[in-house]
Amino acid sequence: MVPLSRLFSSTLGRKYLMGASGMALVLFLVVHLLGNLTLYAGSGEAMNTYAARLHALGPALIALEVGLALTILLHIVTAFQVTYSAKAARPIDYDHAKTKGGPSKSSVGSRNMIWTGVVLGVFLIVHVAQFRFGPTMEDGYTASVSGVMVHDIYRVVVEAFTQLKWVAFYVGSMLFLGFHLRHGYWSAFQSLGIINPRWSKPIHAMGLVIALLLAFGFLFIPIYIFATQSGGGNA
Amino acid sequence: MMSASQSKTINIRLRVWRQESREAQGFFEEHELKGVLVDMSFLEMLDVLNEQIIKSGKRPLEFESDCREGICGTCSLVVQGQAHGPVRGATTCQLYMRTFTDGETITIEPWRAKAFPVIRDLVTDRRAFDRIQMAGGYTGAKTGPHADANAILIPKDLADRAMDAAACIGCGACVAACPNASASLFTSAKVTQLALLPQGQADRKRRVIRMVDQMDKEGFGSCSNLQECEAACPKKISIQNIAIMKQEYLKAALAADFRAGMGSADGGA
Amino acid sequence: MSIELNPGIPEGPLSQKWDNYKANMKLVNPANKRKYSVIVVGTGLAGASAAASLAELGYEVKSFCTHDSARRAHSIAAQGGINAAKSYPNDGDSVWRLFYDTIKGGDYRAREANVYRLAQNSTSIIDQCVSQGVPFAREYSGELANRSFGGAQVSRTFYARGQTGQQLLLGAYSQLMKEVDKGKVTLFPYREMLDVVMVDGKARGIITRNVTTGEIERHAADAVVLATGGYGRVYFLSTNAMNSNVTAIWRAHRRGALFGNPCYVQIHPTCIPVSGNYQAKLTLMSESLRNDGRVWVPKKKEDCKKDPSSIPDEDRDYYLERKYPSFGNLAPRDISSRAAKEVCDEGRGVGESGLAVYLDFRDAIKRDGEAAIRERYGNLFDMYHEITNENPYRSPMRIYPAVHYTMGGLWVDYSLQTTLPGLFAAGEANFSDHGANRLGASALMQGLSDGYFILPYTVTNYLGTHAQDLLKKVDVNHAAFESAEKEVRAEIDRMLENGKKGKRTVTEIYRDLGKVVWDKIGMARSEQGLKEALAEIEKLQKDFDTDLLLTGDSKLNKNLEMAGRLRDLLELGALMARDALERKESCGGHFRVESQTPDGEAQRDDENFAHVAAWEYKGKGQVPVRHQEKLVYENVKLSVRSYK
Repeated sequence: MVPLSRLFSSTLGRKYLMGASGMALVLFLVVHLLGNLTLYAGSGEAMNTYAARLHALGPALIALEVGLALTILLHIVTAFQVTYSAKAARPIDYDHAKTKGGPSKSSVGSRNMIWTGVVLGVFLIVHVAQFRFGPTMEDGYTASVSGVMVHDIYRVVVEAFTQLKWVAFYVGSMLFLGFHLRHGYWSAFQSLGIINPRWSKPIHAMGLVIALLLAFGFLFIPIYIFATQSGGGNA
Repeated sequence: MMSASQSKTINIRLRVWRQESREAQGFFEEHELKGVLVDMSFLEMLDVLNEQIIKSGKRPLEFESDCREGICGTCSLVVQGQAHGPVRGATTCQLYMRTFTDGETITIEPWRAKAFPVIRDLVTDRRAFDRIQMAGGYTGAKTGPHADANAILIPKDLADRAMDAAACIGCGACVAACPNASASLFTSAKVTQLALLPQGQADRKRRVIRMVDQMDKEGFGSCSNLQECEAACPKKISIQNIAIMKQEYLKAALAADFRAGMGSADGGA
Repeated sequence: MSIELNPGIPEGPLSQKWDNYKANMKLVNPANKRKYSVIVVGTGLAGASAAASLAELGYEVKSFCTHDSARRAHSIAAQGGINAAKSYPNDGDSVWRLFYDTIKGGDYRAREANVYRLAQNSTSIIDQCVSQGVPFAREYSGELANRSFGGAQVSRTFYARGQTGQQLLLGAYSQLMKEVDKGKVTLFPYREMLDVVMVDGKARGIITRNVTTGEIERHAADAVVLATGGYGRVYFLSTNAMNSNVTAIWRAHRRGALFGNPCYVQIHPTCIPVSGNYQAKLTLMSESLRNDGRVWVPKKKEDCKKDPSSIPDEDRDYYLERKYPSFGNLAPRDISSRAAKEVCDEGRGVGESGLAVYLDFRDAIKRDGEAAIRERYGNLFDMYHEITNENPYRSPMRIYPAVHYTMGGLWVDYSLQTTLPGLFAAGEANFSDHGANRLGASALMQGLSDGYFILPYTVTNYLGTHAQDLLKKVDVNHAAFESAEKEVRAEIDRMLENGKKGKRTVTEIYRDLGKVVWDKIGMARSEQGLKEALAEIEKLQKDFDTDLLLTGDSKLNKNLEMAGRLRDLLELGALMARDALERKESCGGHFRVESQTPDGEAQRDDENFAHVAAWEYKGKGQVPVRHQEKLVYENVKLSVRSYK
């Protein structure tokens, strides 16, 4: 056996970590989006019920959240390591490099994973601060679900997305998510070596579907809320 | 018909990388070349340029080439920002001047990677590839007599796949074209060839571990799956090989029966 | 003084000679092997396989090549395949038949015992290569596939697509790298060998130049193997690689090793013609194309510049089919090349220069369809299209012969030892096995036979025999190294110094040499032409000595390397002219116009020329001395090669 420390510090090992953490994050995003679909219900009840049930998990939820945070951290740290090693591997750059096309998957998105990643990192901080650590029940954000008092997360969301600046921020960030996933999804399979010629193309195509679904699934939420709630809210 | 293209000429301007030695600072030097026949190969055009430089009493431009038919892997120029120039599935020596237009400025650079230091001008030191090969790019078979060749039956499809990977000419265009200067395609082609064939099984795990280790030691970057290597590869070797190498490495690294044995030549499972 | 040329052929019947050699050879105790070191120069098929095999036996091996990597040697460019008497297709092949075909193909100018051993070893080569993971072509059954090649009526050629040389070389290279990893071989890349060092009558080392730094180095050993390839680059234009050269074997020749049959050169009939005076390299189009392509030129000179498709059949001369009805377009290489030259000399050549003939697939496409032809030759057609910008599916290819391989080389005995004790030559660098003409797919076979299966025995025998002398180690501070290094340095300094004053570049002189050698020591040689060649080469030598223009420094400088090689090629060109002049017969690739049958075929003179000519160097500007090794044929009857 090769020591894990060496396995995961090798250039291949880092990509296993990138790929595996990336895949876990995609899975999280899918679950997250499914949960958020409750926002389309039009009233806060569905969302608040969902949130309440999640919180009822108690320590298990904390564990999941910590796991998620560590996965994200791993993804970020590895990403910086990979980028650093790439820069070190070519100290003097070409006068002007140009792709030869053909099978190349080089595009603005795929070449700039680190930058779309950085944007998503900033987004994440804002997003978590705004919703995970935003106004609490103590701040008066309560609602009643089947007669039980719960946190009115729905109101937090609506308050944010009835402001144009937040809508723009979220929509913009989700576009970056789309670019990130366009390359990232297929890339994770390739990095883990779980791909073969028969599946390579379908998986790459699937990457586009996933990128579009997740990016637009998320970005329509603020638009929908802005469209349906901001008028009503003002009235 | 044939004579029309043969006598056609173009005028070009060249920006070529000059660098006295590994330590020296490099720079672009400009040259004009008039009346370049479009049926000339790119390297023949550089031969003509060198005659011009020598006649002016200056030091000729150093660039490498040998077979000039696309198989030895010696020629290694980045032309217009592309490894081996704009034509896919070709080496620099298989590039012809008809690819360029009259009045065009052509920029020529060496392979750029920390692991391929410039020796002089456009010549780089690619011995890092040899060291990767040394770390396991072979079967353990001894030289000398062996069992009859047909004692090992190898399905045609498998033999063909192995040949696809074995077609690598070791030119380094994959490294040159990769935004990360990764040598994954080169290393994986050899790993895959031998992992597929029955002859490569005995030292399969040791091979991939050691070759990847060596690749990392040489200072190549990691693979970001952009497939630029495959696009630039004159033999169009697929990045599927990289996926196979990743599997092989993970399996070998986690295999309980594999005792690293890295230091000794007789180690391994 | 005449030198005794003893080929050292073992006793016994032909089929047992090699076994007898092995039975009687001296061995070296395994524990003692590490006390011996062997230098192997060149890393092509012969060099890489020899270095790997010797290292595996336990010797300390030093391997030298001019490139960055051993893998770049020109063996890599061989396309077609490798012969072996495996007889897998069950079509009547045998060791004897491969032996016989090779002797006959060489026009009865090769040594019987060597060729028989080559045929014997051929089968082991395939076994060995398969064990290395060489991906030979296979049938759906999983068995190895075979195809047929020129000069044989059986299918005995093994291949890996059109890259057989590459795959075999990578196999040998991988073996070599394994030994480097084990520490048994030390690699010396970027080195050009510039001299052999003789100590007390034995080869004990070499002088090299590091082509990247310019350093001159001394390397000592107990035996030296030269596997540095052929000298086709004397023609300037050839299918050989840019860095192929004669320097290593020429410097050995200057130190006293005799040079065998320098005039035997193979000119391959199907190459892409020269298309301008800037060209540096010619490209081969595989012989296999002649299975479906028909070779022709117009009957009338005035048709030569016309669009070929506008010339009706009755105005076309399918000259190979006309002259050699039973072999037609598949006549052997030497004969097809000469026929192409003849029609072009008559003024019926086509293309811009008039030095080309058509290879036409029109009828094959009509018969089998374009798809079938694409399937068979697609990559070759693409290659042709890429180089010439003409579509061979629409208009016929234009082809012309080009220099491809040299049968001559350092004279070696049965053990592949040159006339200098302890100096061995292998592969294309030696003269053995192919006589006056080589059959297709036999060069790879010979290189690997020499390296994997002959040198490991014969070098051992040499070391074992001379153990007492050789165990007295020679150190690189020995006076012989000192003086050899001094000479090498002086020559380089002189070139750089003279180069500041002259007007003619290396390429200019080189190109002129190539033209003389091609015109006068090419496909047809005459007494007058050869004498002219000698005079013209002498003039070029003077140009080189007094009017060379060389810029740059003594570090990485390709032009300086080329100058040194050109210096040797000029001397070699003169020797080729002399050899061709003395061999007043036609045989294989050597065609003397004075020696032909009434219908223009090669006329051998077995009575006077059934021998190897081995030349002794007598100093710069001195006339070399010709020695002979009589060729004894005990097993085959000398007959006339006819392909009518």
